[in-house]
Amino acid sequence: MAGLRHTFARLGLCVLLGLARPAWAEDRLLLLVAAQSRIEALSSVDVHKLFLGLTVVVNDQRLRPLRNDADELMRQVFFQNVVSMSESVYDRRMLALTLQQGIAAPPVLRTTREVLNALAADPEAVSFAWAADIERDPRVKVLRVLWRR
Amino acid sequence: MNLAALCRPVTAGLVVCWSTFAGCVYAQSADEHATRHEQPAKELVVFVTTEAHHISSDASAATLNEDAWFAADIVLALTRDRFRLFGEFLLTSEERDLERFQLGYEVVPNTVAWLGRFHQPASAWNTEHHHGRYLQMSITRPAIELWEDQNGIVPQHISGLLVDSRRTLGDLGGLHVSAGAGLGPRIVEGKLDPLDLLDPHEGGRHISWTARVSYLPDYTGASEFGIVLAQHRIPVLDQSIVNFPLANEVRQSVYGAFGLWNQEPWRVVAVVYDINVGLRGPATARDERFVAGYVEAGRHFARGLAAYGRVENSARAFRSAYLSGNYPDVDLRRVMLGLRWDVLPRHALTLEVGRGESVRTHQTEIRLQWSAALP
Repeated sequence: MAGLRHTFARLGLCVLLGLARPAWAEDRLLLLVAAQSRIEALSSVDVHKLFLGLTVVVNDQRLRPLRNDADELMRQVFFQNVVSMSESVYDRRMLALTLQQGIAAPPVLRTTREVLNALAADPEAVSFAWAADIERDPRVKVLRVLWRR
Repeated sequence: MNLAALCRPVTAGLVVCWSTFAGCVYAQSADEHATRHEQPAKELVVFVTTEAHHISSDASAATLNEDAWFAADIVLALTRDRFRLFGEFLLTSEERDLERFQLGYEVVPNTVAWLGRFHQPASAWNTEHHHGRYLQMSITRPAIELWEDQNGIVPQHISGLLVDSRRTLGDLGGLHVSAGAGLGPRIVEGKLDPLDLLDPHEGGRHISWTARVSYLPDYTGASEFGIVLAQHRIPVLDQSIVNFPLANEVRQSVYGAFGLWNQEPWRVVAVVYDINVGLRGPATARDERFVAGYVEAGRHFARGLAAYGRVENSARAFRSAYLSGNYPDVDLRRVMLGLRWDVLPRHALTLEVGRGESVRTHQTEIRLQWSAALP
């Protein structure tokens, strides 16, 4: 009986560990494209340009930025590390971009699931997500680590 | 704008063009939205302002609709691959105008050729803020940058071809070149009359040329230093040039230099224009030249507060018979101070006080404005 109890306890622990999101994985923000995309690398300068609304072409592909706004930490990392400006300054830059160059600001998606679906459907789209959220998702590939704790 | 204008071929063409593009965009969007988040991208922004003010001089209050108590600037941008369609419609308590309507094609990355009615790139202020007053730190724009229907001296709207290009220069910098040519304004009843796309009267207009070349210290930044130039031949339809009733053409050349320096928390704009005006008639010719410029400096503080000041000045403008006769209420000198408070994201309250001097009078102005960008 005691052995059976131990077996169930071990099994429960394994299930819990399997379901739990590892903290180390969540602390890496990854730059992503679709698995079938021909883009293999993207410099930080190009990422910066892309999310500021400038046209970036790599391997004859016009890249399309998708902003992932799934949580507060991700938003902070985006403003501090990707575009390197405050949220209010970025918002003004995007308004000015529309007014001056007739360009729409990068679309903002509210969940990582939406981002992954969008990336899977568009080989020219570029976005980012926490490492833990894209594990075992074969539809996307990682270009680089944008930020780690 | 009038309803009869909607029947004109050019207007009908614009409507068809816009409808076709928008139809394609939305049809495509509806078909593919479930699976693709790719282009077409669209952006609709409405810049709204309401303003209360006290101006000590009645003369200027009657002529400058910069002072409209309400304004909504509706901006729509559609992008599909390399194609762009852009429209800006201004609705105020004083006027309703299609200010810009442009069809663009991105020839190479970050180089766009535009066809339509655009803001001439030789204005440092207007190409930065256009009609979106929320993006201005100050409530008012410098007098030399006023729009044509606000008693503006320099033509600002041209209908034709505009090429706008940004290239990297060195490791970090960039080069911004913008050049345009197209039908310029006429002078009717003493005022500049740009081509109205919804009610076009193109007869007698000449081609205006305008360009700017600037250096960007940071290609992705907002600072820019450059030079501008523009050439206009403006026909006078009704002998309405005060002091020169025989003049049937005004030739205007603008040469200028500007600097826009953005380094948080500071923002400085400095501009100077050398303006040559040539009045031509059957048996008369007169040339005048004056210089106009301004410096505006602003600083952001904590809690969304910002303070700014602007000095506008000119040389030889008070001696210009053309300006004194036709623009007697435009401030040729002005000093102003202001406080802006960004109360909420995309909502700001601004208080501005200023003292100006025109050919006719001195005036003091106090303004309170709420400005916003919606949604």
